Amino acid sequence: MASKPISSPVPVAWYPSLAVLMLSIGLVVTASFFIYEATSSRRNRSLSKEIITGAVASVFLGFGSLFLLLATGVYV
Amino acid sequence: MDRRTLVLLFLLLVSSSLGSSSSSSPDIRVLSAERRIDLTSSIVRVFLTLKVENVGASQASDVLLAFPPTDAEHLAILKASTAEGKRKKKIYVPLSVNPTELPDTPNGAHLFSISLRNPLKTGEAAVLEVLYIITHCLEPFPAEISQSETQFVYYHDSAMLLSPYHVMEQITYIKTPSNKVESYTRVDPTNRAGTELRYGLYHDLPPFSYSPIIVHFENNNPFAVVEELVREVEISHWGNLQVREYYKLKHAGARHKGVFSRVEYQSRPSISGVSSFKHLLARLPPRVHSVYYRDEIGNISSSHLRIGSQKSELEIEPRYPLFGGWKATFVIGYGLPLQDFLFKSPDGKHYLNFSFGCPLLETVVDELTIKVVLPEGSKNPSSAVPFPVNQQLETTYAYLDVVGRTTMVLKKRNIVPEHNIPFQVYYDFNPIFMLAEPLMLVSAVFLFFVACIAYLHIDLSIRKS
Repeated sequence: MASKPISSPVPVAWYPSLAVLMLSIGLVVTASFFIYEATSSRRNRSLSKEIITGAVASVFLGFGSLFLLLATGVYV
Repeated sequence: MDRRTLVLLFLLLVSSSLGSSSSSSPDIRVLSAERRIDLTSSIVRVFLTLKVENVGASQASDVLLAFPPTDAEHLAILKASTAEGKRKKKIYVPLSVNPTELPDTPNGAHLFSISLRNPLKTGEAAVLEVLYIITHCLEPFPAEISQSETQFVYYHDSAMLLSPYHVMEQITYIKTPSNKVESYTRVDPTNRAGTELRYGLYHDLPPFSYSPIIVHFENNNPFAVVEELVREVEISHWGNLQVREYYKLKHAGARHKGVFSRVEYQSRPSISGVSSFKHLLARLPPRVHSVYYRDEIGNISSSHLRIGSQKSELEIEPRYPLFGGWKATFVIGYGLPLQDFLFKSPDGKHYLNFSFGCPLLETVVDELTIKVVLPEGSKNPSSAVPFPVNQQLETTYAYLDVVGRTTMVLKKRNIVPEHNIPFQVYYDFNPIFMLAEPLMLVSAVFLFFVACIAYLHIDLSIRKS
């Protein structure tokens, strides 16, 4: 059995598009988080909704910034 | 010079008077030896064809080669092979060569032993092809030249092959780069025709016979020597291999004396600065990207890159032409696609297949250090290099690192272009560790959101509103 070449789990050509897509989704969810904070009053806020929105936003922003780093040539 | 000649002539007399009783391996005899010394570059390459015969009582499993101490110090490569098969289907099988010691070798000669694949029986003969490469042995004379002079060098060697066995017949051919040979020692029969000098045919010489000769000839080839080269290869499983090479380049020919006149250099290129060089060619792998060439001042824009399907060529031009004794320091960096170099072996280990040596053509490297930076979380690194190197492990820190990356450091001295053969570095790596980097970023951003939520929930007012 010959050795097989290893390449990245995500095709390298997708890095810039993935970065833009994930960062934009992350920023939209962040915007919705801050809008929720601004428009709801102290009594109506639900902690679980805040935390879930924050978690989803941070996942998209985290992966988006990773793909941004990879797309610009900083192969971490 | 005189004393050395006297000592070696004395040696010749002593060995011839002692006769066959002083030879170290009395059961092998060299029937014919043909040496072709190639002096057309700054690196000396010698091709030796030996026909040996076993005249002893027992089988011989190895053949010894001897070198004088100065040559053995600068020996970069010593390869031996034997031809197998008939006329048209000859294939050359490489044989392993190892340094050995014997108690009665005269005058500090170094011995190397070639292990034969099939032991030579009594009365049998075998033909061996040996290639050896010696660096730093062409001595510039005169040692200092001005800009408009051409470079002459001395080549010190022996007219007879230094061998621990009797040599029945031998001949030596020396090829110089041009017709201009200032002088050469005559050891009859000697003949010179154009660029080829012939010493031979010598018959029936005792073991360890040595007759020093000096050839003084013109050699204007670029004497490019990289004093120190550090190559860093960083492996990232996200799809890229980043290579950074730090060079300290020097012109090791006749030192430049007097002034450097740029006007004369540019107006008369065939007379002025014939031994200097201004371009260097580096051979890089195909599919290379993001190549940069800079030094401490900044980017050096005088370079050309030609990317091809089999290889890429980078032609660099340092900021100034290099004359004798001048130095230049620079950095070359480039990126390579990961799938060309990183593989997974059937037993689960990942390995990097990369070429050792210096990408610059026809340059000698005095000290080469290759650092292979493995991804974070890799374990059990080991390397497989075809020739002996110094190995160490250290830790490097790069972007988004917590524990640091294991680095395999390989060091070797006296490298020539023939050392550009692939080597492997093996390691264990679980791909789950690649997730550590995005998770670190995700948790950092999440911490920011948690801080926002905490701030908005904390009531810092002094009075209840």
